[in-house]
Amino acid sequence: MSQEVDERIAGVSSFVLQSPPGEINDVLNDVRVIVNDDESLEQGILPALRDYNLAQFITVDVPGTSYQTIVSDIARISSDDEDEERFLDPRSKTSFKFDHLRLEATDSRPEESDVEAEPLRTALESSALSYLAAHYHDGVVAIFSVQPPNQFVVQIVANKYNPSNYWSGRWRSHYHIDFDTKMIRGKILVNVHYYEQGNVQLETSHDLAIPIPPAVVNAEPSSASSKILALIDVEESRLQTSFNDAYHEMAEKTFKGLRRALPLTRQKIDWDKVLGYKLGAELTAGKGVFASS
Amino acid sequence: MADPVDSMLDLMRRLPPTRVDENVNALIQLCPDYADDLLGSVDQPLKVHTDRATGREYLACDYNRDGDSYRSPWSNEYDPPLEDGTTPSPKLRKLEIAANEAFDTYREMYYEGGVSSVYLWELDDGGFAGVVLFKKVMNPSSPDDPSGSWDSIHVFETAERGRQAHYKLTSTIMLQLVTRQNDKGFEDNSSVAACSDKKNSEQHGKKMAGEVNLSGSMTRQTEQDWPLHDASSHITNTGKMIEEMEIKMRNLLQEVYFGKTRDIVYDLRSIDDLERARRQRELQKELVGFIKR
Repeated sequence: MSQEVDERIAGVSSFVLQSPPGEINDVLNDVRVIVNDDESLEQGILPALRDYNLAQFITVDVPGTSYQTIVSDIARISSDDEDEERFLDPRSKTSFKFDHLRLEATDSRPEESDVEAEPLRTALESSALSYLAAHYHDGVVAIFSVQPPNQFVVQIVANKYNPSNYWSGRWRSHYHIDFDTKMIRGKILVNVHYYEQGNVQLETSHDLAIPIPPAVVNAEPSSASSKILALIDVEESRLQTSFNDAYHEMAEKTFKGLRRALPLTRQKIDWDKVLGYKLGAELTAGKGVFASS
Repeated sequence: MADPVDSMLDLMRRLPPTRVDENVNALIQLCPDYADDLLGSVDQPLKVHTDRATGREYLACDYNRDGDSYRSPWSNEYDPPLEDGTTPSPKLRKLEIAANEAFDTYREMYYEGGVSSVYLWELDDGGFAGVVLFKKVMNPSSPDDPSGSWDSIHVFETAERGRQAHYKLTSTIMLQLVTRQNDKGFEDNSSVAACSDKKNSEQHGKKMAGEVNLSGSMTRQTEQDWPLHDASSHITNTGKMIEEMEIKMRNLLQEVYFGKTRDIVYDLRSIDDLERARRQRELQKELVGFIKR
């Protein structure tokens, strides 16, 4: 690969990473024309595609099941061999290889789970699935047990792509539940793209810290997990409600402060007058007060 | 294969509006041959410059650029100075001066602040064209205050036909609104850490911190005929057209920014329990069936 093509691919990789929800193929089509070297692009763009997929919680059909899971950094099974990168679906306890261009999972094989953590993880999974059905229209959730012990990660992603009406949206939630420090740390990211005769994007990013009550930490897995998801529910709903406050403030303060709907007179401008004043002022300056018009 | 310029423009309609400048520069690096096409077709946030001769602020964009210099509408001078910079003919410059004054009055009445600039230039077919620019920025007085910016770019072309003039107007408004949302005590990570160290008593509450960013641009076009009495009619005619267009687009922006993007968030996640709503619907159906029997 020539150095020039290398530089082009490095340049367009940044565009790929900025793709709005569900528009990665449109961005790739544009990038193809700009690079104008399909062979180099197909190889060269893969690292950016992989980064995009992992960061955006891209979903994939799990082989042999009827549901989807999330391909993310947490789902990645660390391996020394880069070509052998695999992702875990904790629900079916299988792992798969992932094609970052075609978004397909292949070569499924069983994985051993952490016996100690599994009862609580399964309980969290079952509570999370109920929570998902109650609050997300097209959501996917995955729950991982992570090291050190007593720690779990809950990831949620919901996508809606409506290209015929020129909009798309994505909601991502990531929670790190730590039963030792009794804290849930979360991050919620929402992206909306509206592009009918324009390009309008909503981007939100929020960090959350939710303390876990001691009673919950010591409860049975099923009871602990339903309480954890109830805590998450309260905070996510609080956040979603707070968007309304932010919208209200932006509409009432910022938007109105930037440009009025009408002048203070509540009437549209009388352009003949505006021009008359100006021309009049110009003329009077030269010829005296009564010499205008 | 598609035209590279079309692909670049499609890309710019998809990538985040907050990163327009950065992405246009990256595209120019990638395809220097298309720099003029790009700079002429992609609307970028207007830059505020200060006229050295008059001390007045003016707006810089591709339409008052010659090489690396920008022409001020107030002094007609280029900065950095240019020996042979393009300027309008004396007759058109006279109209430009009057238009700048008229639209400055308009700016004060609708924006109550900000900066305006009007630039005119001759067309090869004998007519002329122009651009009317407005920019207003609201800077937050504290980090938690909302901030925003509004950039209007109205490009028009006119052809005189006897006592009538035909106008073609293309208007783009770029609007950015940012609101920070911080619970008290979530200024930085250390304070969160300090909270979780309080021996996990339930007294310390949940914390949330983040940002809501709504940015983008919308473009609309119109063509109209207006009567022509003298040269200054061009100012009243374009003035009425631009005023009407800004009123229409302000309503449209309000609808898309505060209506559409919010609706899409609710298409992703629901505050109300969807499962309960589904059960209620089923129960209703059963009842209807029961009554019918």
